[in-house]
Amino acid sequence: MPTPIVLLTRLLLFWLLGTTVLWADPGVLVVMNSASGVESLTRDQVVNIFLGRFRQLPNGMPALPIDQPADQPLKATFYQRLVNKQLAEIRAYWARLVFSGKTTPPRQAETPEQVLQWLAENPGAVAYLDTDPPSQVRIVFVLSAAP
Amino acid sequence: MKPLRSRWHGSLLVRTGAVLVGVFLVLGAVTVTAGLHATKLRLQESSRQRLQQLLDTVESTASVACFANDEVLAGELASGLLKNSEVLSVTILAGDAELVSHQRHVSAQTDPDEAPAAPLVRDIHSPFDPGQRVGQLRLVPNHALIRQTMRHELIAALLQMALQLTVAALAVMAAMLMWIIRPIASISSTLHAMDATRGERLSVPLHHSRSEIGQLVTDVNHLADRLVQTLEEERALRLQREFEERRYHAIFDNAQTGLFLLNTAGALNSWNPSFARLLHLPPAASPAGLSLQALGWKTPERVRSLLRNCLNRPSSTSADLDYCAPDGANLWLHLVLTPIDTDALQGVLHDVTALKEAEASARRQAVTDPLTGIANRRGLEQRLGDLAQACAHGQISGFALMLVDFDNFKRINDGFGLPAGDEILKEATQRLCACVKSTDVVARLGADQFALLLSNLYQGEDAEGVALRVLHSLQQHYFIAGSPLKLHVSIGIAFYPRDATGDLPRLLLNAEFALDHAKAEGGNGMHFFNPELAAAAERRRQLENDLRMAIREEQFVLFFQPIVDLLESRISGAEVLIRWNHPQRGLVSPNEFIPLAEDTGLIIDIGLWALEASGRQLARWRTEGRELSLSLNVSGRQIPAGLPVEVLRDALYRLGFRSEFLALEITEGVLLDDVEGALNWLTAVRSQGFSIYLDDFGTGYSSLSYLKRFPVDRLKVDRSFVRDIDKDPSDRALVEAIVAMARSLSLEVVAEGVEEAEHVRLLHAMGCRYLQGFYFSPPVPLETFDDIHDQLPDMLGNALQGFLRDTS
Repeated sequence: MPTPIVLLTRLLLFWLLGTTVLWADPGVLVVMNSASGVESLTRDQVVNIFLGRFRQLPNGMPALPIDQPADQPLKATFYQRLVNKQLAEIRAYWARLVFSGKTTPPRQAETPEQVLQWLAENPGAVAYLDTDPPSQVRIVFVLSAAP
Repeated sequence: MKPLRSRWHGSLLVRTGAVLVGVFLVLGAVTVTAGLHATKLRLQESSRQRLQQLLDTVESTASVACFANDEVLAGELASGLLKNSEVLSVTILAGDAELVSHQRHVSAQTDPDEAPAAPLVRDIHSPFDPGQRVGQLRLVPNHALIRQTMRHELIAALLQMALQLTVAALAVMAAMLMWIIRPIASISSTLHAMDATRGERLSVPLHHSRSEIGQLVTDVNHLADRLVQTLEEERALRLQREFEERRYHAIFDNAQTGLFLLNTAGALNSWNPSFARLLHLPPAASPAGLSLQALGWKTPERVRSLLRNCLNRPSSTSADLDYCAPDGANLWLHLVLTPIDTDALQGVLHDVTALKEAEASARRQAVTDPLTGIANRRGLEQRLGDLAQACAHGQISGFALMLVDFDNFKRINDGFGLPAGDEILKEATQRLCACVKSTDVVARLGADQFALLLSNLYQGEDAEGVALRVLHSLQQHYFIAGSPLKLHVSIGIAFYPRDATGDLPRLLLNAEFALDHAKAEGGNGMHFFNPELAAAAERRRQLENDLRMAIREEQFVLFFQPIVDLLESRISGAEVLIRWNHPQRGLVSPNEFIPLAEDTGLIIDIGLWALEASGRQLARWRTEGRELSLSLNVSGRQIPAGLPVEVLRDALYRLGFRSEFLALEITEGVLLDDVEGALNWLTAVRSQGFSIYLDDFGTGYSSLSYLKRFPVDRLKVDRSFVRDIDKDPSDRALVEAIVAMARSLSLEVVAEGVEEAEHVRLLHAMGCRYLQGFYFSPPVPLETFDDIHDQLPDMLGNALQGFLRDTS
C-alpha cells in the first residue's frame, strides 16, 4: 500500500503532465482552401470525404481529400481521431475499394509542403494539419484530442 | 383333416410375414417421416448456420461496399456468395436502396408450390461507426439443395429400411419355418398317416423336447392314448351289444313262444317264426296289414277288451283265448300284452291247448273215480252242492242220498285178489247206473262204497223202491273166473233237506249213520236215517271221551273167569277180562266199549294197562307160591305194533313173573289182516315163552291151514258150539272133531261157555281137558276168585258124579 505521501506525489505529477499535453496539442485541424467557400464541415462530412463515401462539398463542389505523407504521425493521428482506426485498417479498407475503381483513396502527398501546395491549388481540396495553417487556408473542422 | 399346405393364405408363415411387413412398413413410415422431418430441420438449421457464418465472413466487405456504395464491390461480393450452392439469391442494400441483387439461375424443376425460403437478413453497419447502419445484406437460402439432399437421404433410408425388413422378415420366416412350420407340417403329415389304434404315436421333433411343440406332441399322444382307450371301450361295448343283439335276435327267432309287436290299434308290426307257427299262419304270411283282432279268435271281442285293458291300465294283461286256426285246428292260446311305448305293445303267445286239456282232464279226474269212471267223493260233493243250490232256489223240492256198501267186500279182495274185486266193482257200477235215472248221480266214495244221488226223491216210499231195486240188482251173481259169487250190500239213506237242512257234510254223515246201522243190523238191508241214529252216534262220541279219561284215570278193573283143569281137577288159571268201572254208570261191559276202543285205537293203551295189571297179579301169585296162569285177550289192532315183544319182555323182567304163566288170546281175524306181521309177532312172542290161545275157534273161517302155519298152544272152542252139545248132535260132533284134531296136532283145547253139568260131563267124555264157563263161575273180581277153589270139588263132583261112578 503506497503511503499517502506517495499518492499525493503521483497525483501532482499527473496533473503537471496533463496540463503540459493540453498545452502542447492544439488538435488536428481539417482545413480547406479559403476559396472553396466552405466555412465548416461536420465530422460526418469529413468522414464521407476522406473515406470516399460521398465526395461532394455542401456547396456541390467535388471534394478532394489529401492525406499527409504516410511517414508523418499526423496521418495516423488524424484517422485515429477521425474514425478510431489504425492506418493499417484504413489501408485494408481502401484495398477493397480500389479494386472496384468506383472511388479512390485521398491523394497521397509526398511531403507536408505538397499538402499545402495541393491545398492551395485546388479549391475543393480538404486536408488536415497540426500546425496553424497559412492564411489562405481555412479551418473547417477541428479534431480535438478528446475522442 | 385338410393338409396344412392346401391353404397357403392361412399359413402361419404367410400370416406372420404379412404382419411383419405391415409392422415394418408402418414403423418405417413413421420413422422415416419423423427422421426426414428432423433431418430437414437439422439441414435447414445447419444451412442457416453456414449461411450466417458466410454472412459473418463477408460482413466487413459488405460493410465497406455499403458504406462506400460501391456496387462493383457489392456485385463481387454477391457473386462470391452465390458461389456457395446453398445461396439462392443475394440482395445488398445500401441504406435503403438496393445496391446490387444477384439471383442464382435454378433449373425448372423447382417445386413451384413451395413457399420461398425466408431470407437471411443482416444489417450492415458502417465500418467506422458500428452504430450506424449503412445497408443490409439479404440472402435467400437455396432450399432446393436441401430438398435434394433430403430426397437422397430418404432414398437411402428407404433402401436401408427395405433391406432391414427383408433380412428381418427372412430371418423370422426362416426361424418360423424351421422351428414351427416344419415340425407342425411333419406332425400333421405323421398324424395323417398315423394309426393310433396300432399303438403308433407322434415322435417329438428333434430339439423340441422342451418346447411348446414338444408339449403339443406329448398332449396329442396323451389324447391319442385316451381316444384309443375310449375306442377300445367303445368297441368292447359295441361287440357286447352286437353279441347281445344277436343273442336276443336268436332268442326272438328261436323262441318256442310266439313273440310279436303291435301298435295300439292292434295292427301287427312284426312276429317271430313261432308266432306264425302257433297260429298256423301260412309260411308266406306277413304282418303288414294284419291286425291282432282279425286273426281267427273265436271271441274277438275278448281280444279287443284285452287290448283296451292293456292300454287303459297300462300294464301287462293276459288271457287264455280260444283260437280257430285257418286249417281248422282248435287251439287254446295264452296271450300276454305288455305296453312298451306310447304307441307300441309287445305280445307273447303260448300254446296252452295241452295245458287246457290237461286242466280239463284233471278237473274231470278230480271228480271222477278212475276205476269205474263215475264220480268220486269230490264229484259227489260238487253235485250235492249243485242240488242243494237248486233246492235253495226252489227248482227241486229235495233229494235223497243213498250210500251203498258191500258187506265184507274185503274178503273178495283177500280171497280172489284185487283185480277180481275191481271187476266186481265195475260190474256193480253198471248195475247201479241201470237202477237210477240218467239225471241221478252214481258215485264211488271208497273201496266198496257207492253213493246214489236221487233228485226229487224226498219221501221214504219212493226211495225205498229204488233201494230195493239196488239191493236186488247187486245181489245177483257175479262171475269171477267163471264161477258165480253172491254178495250182500247194506244201504243207508238220508234225505235233503229233511235230515240235514243246508248242511251237506251232515247229510253225508247222517247217511253214513244209516248205513252203519244197516250194517250193524247184520247187513244185506237198508236203513233210513232217523234222529235216533244221530243220538247214538253222539252217545258213541261221548263214550269215546269217557274212555280216554278212563285210560288216564285207570278206571278199569280186571275180572277173572277161572279155567278148570279136568285132568288135575283144579283151577289152572283164569281168562282175564276187563271191566270199566265208570264213575257214573258203574261197571260197563266190554261189549260196550271194546269195539269202540278197537275202532279208535284206544285198545292199545287199554291192552298195555291190562298186561301190567295181569303181570302184577301173576307176580303176586308167584310170590305166594301158587301156580296159576292167566290168559289175556289181544285185539287185532294190537298186533304187531300195539303190543311189541319188547314191551312183553320188559313187563316180564320188571314185574317178575314167569312167561309160561301168561297166555295171549288172539282170534282168527288177527291172522287175516297182516299175515307176515302176525306170524313174526307170534313166533317172537312164543320164543319168549308166552303161550298163544286161539280164541273163538270155529266161528270164523277156521281155515285149518292157519293152524298149520301159525304156531298156537291152545284152541278155545267158541261157546256157540259148546252151548248146544247136549242137544245138538252136530255141534257135539263138531266139538268132538275139534278136540280130536287138536289132540292129533298136540294142541290143548279150552271149551268156553260151559254152563251145564252135562256140558262138563260130555266134554270130559270127549277128552277136553280145560273148561271155562258160568257153570264154574262168571268172571269175578279177584276178591271172590279164590272162593271158587273151595267150591270146585263140589261142582266137579256134581257134574261128573255119574260119569265118575260109571267110569269107576
